[in-house]
Amino acid sequence: MGELNLGVFDSPESVIAACDSCGYLADDELATALFLAYKLGKPLLLEGHPGVGKTEVANVLAKALDTNLIRLQCYEGLDVNSAVYEWNYQKQLLSIRIAQNGNGHTGNLEKHIFGKDFLLKRPLLQSITQEKSPVLLIDEVDRADEEFEAFLLELLSAYQISIPEMGTIEASKKPIVILTSNRTRELSDALKRRCLYIWNDFPDFEKEMNIVKKHHPHIEESLVRQVIHAIQYLREQKLTKYPGISESIDWASALLAIGTQKLDRKSIEKTLSCVLKAVDDVDKMKNGELERMLGELATVI
Amino acid sequence: MQDQQRAEDFTTYSEAIIGFVQWLRLQGMGVGIHESQQALMAAEFGCIKEKALLKNAFRLIFCTSPSDRQQFDSLFEFFWGREKIAVKGKTTYKNQSNIKKKSPASLVWMGMGNGSEDQKEDAKKVSGANQVARLRKTDFTRLTEMESEELEEIAQKLWKQMSLRMKRKMKASANHGRIDLRNTLRRSLNYGGELIELRKKSPKARRKKLVVLLDVSGSMDTYSFFLLRFICALRVHFAKIEAFLFSTHLIRITEYLHTQNLETTLKLMSLRTDNWSSGTRIGESLKQFNDSFAREILHGHSTVIILSDGLDTGEPDLVEEEIKKIKLRTRQLIWLNPLKGTMGYEPIQKGMAAALPQLDHFRSANTLDSILELEKLLINV
Repeated sequence: MGELNLGVFDSPESVIAACDSCGYLADDELATALFLAYKLGKPLLLEGHPGVGKTEVANVLAKALDTNLIRLQCYEGLDVNSAVYEWNYQKQLLSIRIAQNGNGHTGNLEKHIFGKDFLLKRPLLQSITQEKSPVLLIDEVDRADEEFEAFLLELLSAYQISIPEMGTIEASKKPIVILTSNRTRELSDALKRRCLYIWNDFPDFEKEMNIVKKHHPHIEESLVRQVIHAIQYLREQKLTKYPGISESIDWASALLAIGTQKLDRKSIEKTLSCVLKAVDDVDKMKNGELERMLGELATVI
Repeated sequence: MQDQQRAEDFTTYSEAIIGFVQWLRLQGMGVGIHESQQALMAAEFGCIKEKALLKNAFRLIFCTSPSDRQQFDSLFEFFWGREKIAVKGKTTYKNQSNIKKKSPASLVWMGMGNGSEDQKEDAKKVSGANQVARLRKTDFTRLTEMESEELEEIAQKLWKQMSLRMKRKMKASANHGRIDLRNTLRRSLNYGGELIELRKKSPKARRKKLVVLLDVSGSMDTYSFFLLRFICALRVHFAKIEAFLFSTHLIRITEYLHTQNLETTLKLMSLRTDNWSSGTRIGESLKQFNDSFAREILHGHSTVIILSDGLDTGEPDLVEEEIKKIKLRTRQLIWLNPLKGTMGYEPIQKGMAAALPQLDHFRSANTLDSILELEKLLINV
């Protein structure tokens, strides 16, 4: 089995530095997680609320290691054909025809049409047949069926894939695997035990400020402060959909775009669609919650 | 706890790590040999240098859920730290002893032990050609103890028949569907590449999720229990069944459904629910469901069954609001109201009337026959 051929991460601090240069703020725990995932060759399972930047971790990791990102988006009904491999049927049919019309090596035909040239590689197979260890992102694994989860086990523990017609394909270079889950259902113990597990929570005030500033280097300090206060206030309310980090960043961009310096009633109303994504929540804001929020903001600023 | 070894009692780091793993295992965390190897390797990579780093690394390796993570920090501090950390467990023990235990006898078919003469007469008045047919049409609350046993037997048989019927229905569709190119090509090799036999694949019958919310207040428990037995009979046909009981508040009983013996299951439930057979607050119970469980449990594919008489002591507006939220996250919402089976019933109670526009089906489910009718609704999801 191939070893990791990269070699930039030699301590959690170096991970933090690498992420930082790619525009991502990793805390100590996440940095340790990435460091260990890299060193131990173990998949990393990220769980947490939607919008806390789980998927972004994989993007940044690929950037930091200067390697390919291979992404598999899970959904209900995801099957082996679209996740691992598929035979190129058109090409197979054509090849059969040619064999018939020509002198026909029909004896070798089966071996021929189930060869490498006829294999369409889907993300999982791609990930273990690369020249350089890629980052494999298996996004929202909780959406896939339990059967698929069971299938992942082979890949994640042995880094190999079995194709009945061809045999077992072993990884030339081991991918670094990141799995994300929104915890809409409990994943199986077998899968969890093969992974390092980390729970991503919403960041605290200071960290979220730094994240937004990282994305908008020229933004006014006071405006960021207000935005984050407002966002953190909203997260404490009972909303249908909580605003995530991406919402804070979007909101800041929106406020910058309309050229406002201060978070007041008018600017909030204009940009509310960046923050609240459910009708019920917007209604709630219109029916008095906005006043309460403005009151709250006035006390802290 | 006194004789528990800590990190400082070991001579080498590796021994201390092994000791820690063994101790975690004693504390009920599922930590295997593989994990200890990983931990040793992590330490080797330099994580042992700093306590915070070691804690992070071990947490990543040993924990597999948010609850594990909560527990882990104090376990780690206890083992590796210098200062003493209070043992958490104590308060929970106290709470447990406070739970009032009901005697198992008070449960099985509530109110049936003292079936009076009136009830027996009532039951007989229902017309029907033979005993079985009559029982199947009798309201559950009007059964005598003996009759309920008999009905039990009939029900058992019917549950079994029903399971078989559902299986066959799923099988019959196997020949339809799209052409399976992979298999067709494989097959064609036998005929020298001529596509003579077409192989097909049909969408695999996907098992759905079922969520049941049962009202156990007042007179509803009898119906609730019968429905629960029905649900348990259907267990194999659903990917997952989640069950909740409610009256003044909501209790999750899913874990008990997996007990093999249903009789024991029911006993366990009665031990757990201290709000059995009291007043009803439908709106608040549904709200509790939405706030704490809906995100995790409900998807677009689930079916939700609510069994309640709709007699609510809470706010009808709240019922409407919460029902709407549930409806948004489900494929099918069924409300069973046993009162619907009684003559001249109109859904005019405020809570019930508020919920009605949101429902896909509104059924009675007060007799065995009416429960069996549910089968059709459930397999067509």
